[in-house]
Amino acid sequence: MAKTALLLILALCAGPALAQAPKADLQCKFTGTDFVYDCTIRLSRGGKPLEGAQVTVGADMPSMPMAHNVKPVKAQPAQVPGEYKAKLDLEMLGVWAVKLRLAGPVKDQLILHYEFDSKGATPVKR
Amino acid sequence: MDDYAIGVLTNVGLISFLALSAYLLLIAGEMSFGQQAFFGVGAYAGGMLTAMYGWPLPLAALAAMALGALAQFLVGLPTLRLRGLYFAMATLAAAEMARILFALLHFQRQLEGEPVGPDGTQGFRGIRWVFEHGVEPAEYLGIVYALLIVALALFLLVERSRLGATLRGVGEDAELAASLGVDVNRVKLGVAAAAGALAALGGVLYAHHNTYIEPRNFDIMLGVHSLAYALIGGLGTALGPLLGVVLDIGALEGSRVFQGYRMIVFGGLVALLLIWRPRGLLDEKAVQWLRRRFC
Repeated sequence: MAKTALLLILALCAGPALAQAPKADLQCKFTGTDFVYDCTIRLSRGGKPLEGAQVTVGADMPSMPMAHNVKPVKAQPAQVPGEYKAKLDLEMLGVWAVKLRLAGPVKDQLILHYEFDSKGATPVKR
Repeated sequence: MDDYAIGVLTNVGLISFLALSAYLLLIAGEMSFGQQAFFGVGAYAGGMLTAMYGWPLPLAALAAMALGALAQFLVGLPTLRLRGLYFAMATLAAAEMARILFALLHFQRQLEGEPVGPDGTQGFRGIRWVFEHGVEPAEYLGIVYALLIVALALFLLVERSRLGATLRGVGEDAELAASLGVDVNRVKLGVAAAAGALAALGGVLYAHHNTYIEPRNFDIMLGVHSLAYALIGGLGTALGPLLGVVLDIGALEGSRVFQGYRMIVFGGLVALLLIWRPRGLLDEKAVQWLRRRFC
């Protein structure tokens, strides 16, 4: 217990461990059921497809952080290297901050902003 | 515990800091609609220090708390002269000014060929300290709750002390407190600084949990909710705001009973409670009754 606490304190006070951040791209299609989308996630790192990652996909409404989000789902690896598939069940149309939590070869979290409508999702540019 | 449960519990913990911050001002007699600004100050300051300058999170959190305290102290200097609705409006205006400043903030550094830092309305990505240091979600949850317990313990200690009585006295009747020799302005400025530091601590923890922040995260919705949590949970004890957060995020959001209609249910709940119990579920009378019964 004390050893774990000590390791945690050392980790908290250590300097930054810079590593190349993964990148993600998202494509979603409306399924025909209200607010449900079939999504394909493309992950890469250093220009190469990121394979073998465990990807959990969630979504937050940017104007109500912490209090308005959807239950995360696990994405399944597709046949194309670096691609993963997930079904997103949102509560309404509009802008959502899609949250990709990565585990496995790389631990990270990526946030992508997309506007969801009756056709699919488009990246938000502000 | 699965990832979803950890996520909901972490959110409950994070927003509790903001609810406690609003509660602190409420017991001193001031209703602030602007605590989200200091949450944002903490999030931006802490995120910039760890992501752009490589500070360790504990030091960045302390610096962000100091900045949050200073920011709310400075806002309090002119606004705490106002009373009631006027103070509430002034805090809302200050929070909106802060949100616009976040939207205008473009300050980035190149790290490993990538721009890192706030980029106006595009937000601030890559606050990855938690991931770079291998802190697991369950461990981060532990850190959030350890800090929340410390904050709560301080609240409970203060509430049982002379300072707590002074605070409630100032909140109940500032003129009467002043006639008894209390420096009301000084007390309120101290409360404002403490509330700013508490909100900023929540903000820095939120930024590192989410890895991304943007000005829209800190709009009026967040401020109204933090105030509502304190009013629903009750003003009789610091456990009140936490009860408000647990009821909204833990019970309504966590259970997903109402799905997209949760906000409507929440609004109705606030309205009903303000009619039935104007000072919340755990109001002063309820706390007295519980103390007589169990202590």
